[in-house]
Amino acid sequence: MASREHVYRNRLNWRETFVNFWRESRVGLFLLFPAFIFLIVFFLVPMLYIFYLSLMISNDMGETLRYGLGNYLRFFSESYYTNALWTTIRVSFYTTLLSLLLAYPLAIFLARSSPKVRGIMTLLIVSPLLVSIVVRNFGLYLMLIPNGFINQILIFLHVIDEPIKLLFTEGGVVIGLSNAYLPFMVLSIATSLYNIDPSLLRASAILGASPWRSFYSVTLPLSLPGIVAGVVLVFSMSMSAYVTPALLGGANVPMLPVVAYDEILNLLRWTYGSALSYILLGTTLILVTIFSRLVESGRFREVFR
Amino acid sequence: MRRRLMQFVLAVIATFVVLYIVMPVIVVLPASFTSASYPSFPPKGFSLQWYEKILDRPEFLSAFGNSVKFAVLATIGSLFLGTLAALAVAKYDFPGKTFLVSFLSAPLTVPQLVLGIALLIYFTPFYLSGTPLGFLISHIIITLPYVVRFVLTGLSGFDYTLEKAAMILGAKPWKVFLSVTFPLIRPALVSGGMFSFLTSFDNVTVSLFMVSPHMRTLPLEIFSHMQDAYSPIVASVSSAVILISVIFIVILEKIYGVGKLFSQ
Repeated sequence: MASREHVYRNRLNWRETFVNFWRESRVGLFLLFPAFIFLIVFFLVPMLYIFYLSLMISNDMGETLRYGLGNYLRFFSESYYTNALWTTIRVSFYTTLLSLLLAYPLAIFLARSSPKVRGIMTLLIVSPLLVSIVVRNFGLYLMLIPNGFINQILIFLHVIDEPIKLLFTEGGVVIGLSNAYLPFMVLSIATSLYNIDPSLLRASAILGASPWRSFYSVTLPLSLPGIVAGVVLVFSMSMSAYVTPALLGGANVPMLPVVAYDEILNLLRWTYGSALSYILLGTTLILVTIFSRLVESGRFREVFR
Repeated sequence: MRRRLMQFVLAVIATFVVLYIVMPVIVVLPASFTSASYPSFPPKGFSLQWYEKILDRPEFLSAFGNSVKFAVLATIGSLFLGTLAALAVAKYDFPGKTFLVSFLSAPLTVPQLVLGIALLIYFTPFYLSGTPLGFLISHIIITLPYVVRFVLTGLSGFDYTLEKAAMILGAKPWKVFLSVTFPLIRPALVSGGMFSFLTSFDNVTVSLFMVSPHMRTLPLEIFSHMQDAYSPIVASVSSAVILISVIFIVILEKIYGVGKLFSQ
């Protein structure tokens, strides 16, 4: 008897909870509903749909032949595509490295300067992000051409005697991508530097550490979370960048996004293009995860807690 | 002394890196005043001919019109969907809220190239690819996460007792929203809307998959001109785009702070 009463009460409670929940959150759910449905219909479903398509093998007429991993296998068996993937990874790696090397001193400078200087510098660093990427690429084109700005400076400084070819080379794409994504790296590192307690550096100086030693044992480890965030961001964006490789690399630097664009819009191979999209997403995710796991379990793992 | 020297060296490096960041935008402006038939920096001579030539090219003007039109419509759509969603997230409690918040910003985590491919393939059976409606939907998807973030930030210091007070004083829910909630989140809506406008106006990668030959936006027109031939007209059109961006940057800096736009 007692147990039946118990069950009955439980059921009542459950109903009550549900009614209460509905009363309290229905306005919230109602407000959320339009955006939620919109994202499901026009974002989630398309993303799942191209994943489904990527498992479909079709001929060039668009007729479905069978289902399977054929598209993925084909990618890894043809050197044209694996080379494109390697180029993409290599260019993204150098882009990230160059961004990191340029961003770190700037971030240190920002962290040490007065709020006013910091504000002006931040404004200058962030503003280019609000100018269309094609416009910035046009500026980069003017800087990279044989008689362009970069070559003129290098000749003036006697680093080189004759103009070097930068446009339509991997180096040119690395310059272009690092230029476009440098602000993100600077902001990530600077944010983690702002959060360092100044008394730590004072303590380290009092204990007799040289400025270099303080930097190596205090500032650098504590800025690692910012470095990891910046590296992950810049690397992922470089991996999937289309405009800069297309304009500054052209046919000489066939990166995967350019190849994917070609497959989809020029060759109309939608099932294969869908597989390329997911290979790009998957590769980026795997590399980024390996990198952050390695750093987060390395010597300075305490700073990530 | 050595410390001073270090500080000086750091300042010099920082100045050069900042110059490197802004350089691509700066060089476009003088290049547009060149009197030669090819763009260069530093420019050769001075003339306004490449600005006059914009007027002879109707494709640039109609592309500019399209850009403004779609950016305004996408912003209106995102503001509507995003404000409602942000209000729901900030005010009400429901199961799976953290998941929903990350779902609302999910379009930012997918590369725009992949998003463009997915939408093009998905839209085609519905006859939406290459149509104004399809273009608009794709731009709402890429701007919505930003609007949600701006409004959520704007609501973070929101005092809900003000709404309660208005209700106790007998105001209807609609009236409470219009005369209490809306004025308080208006700065967030304005800055979110402006950022959304610029994001849509500047977009290339998603737009590439959404346009048709007779409906192009300004960045795409510049993009295709750059792929075919580099003429100084690209410099003058780009300068016009920079001018628009600068106006937005000045206003955004005044009302929100540009430095905060991209910080997580």
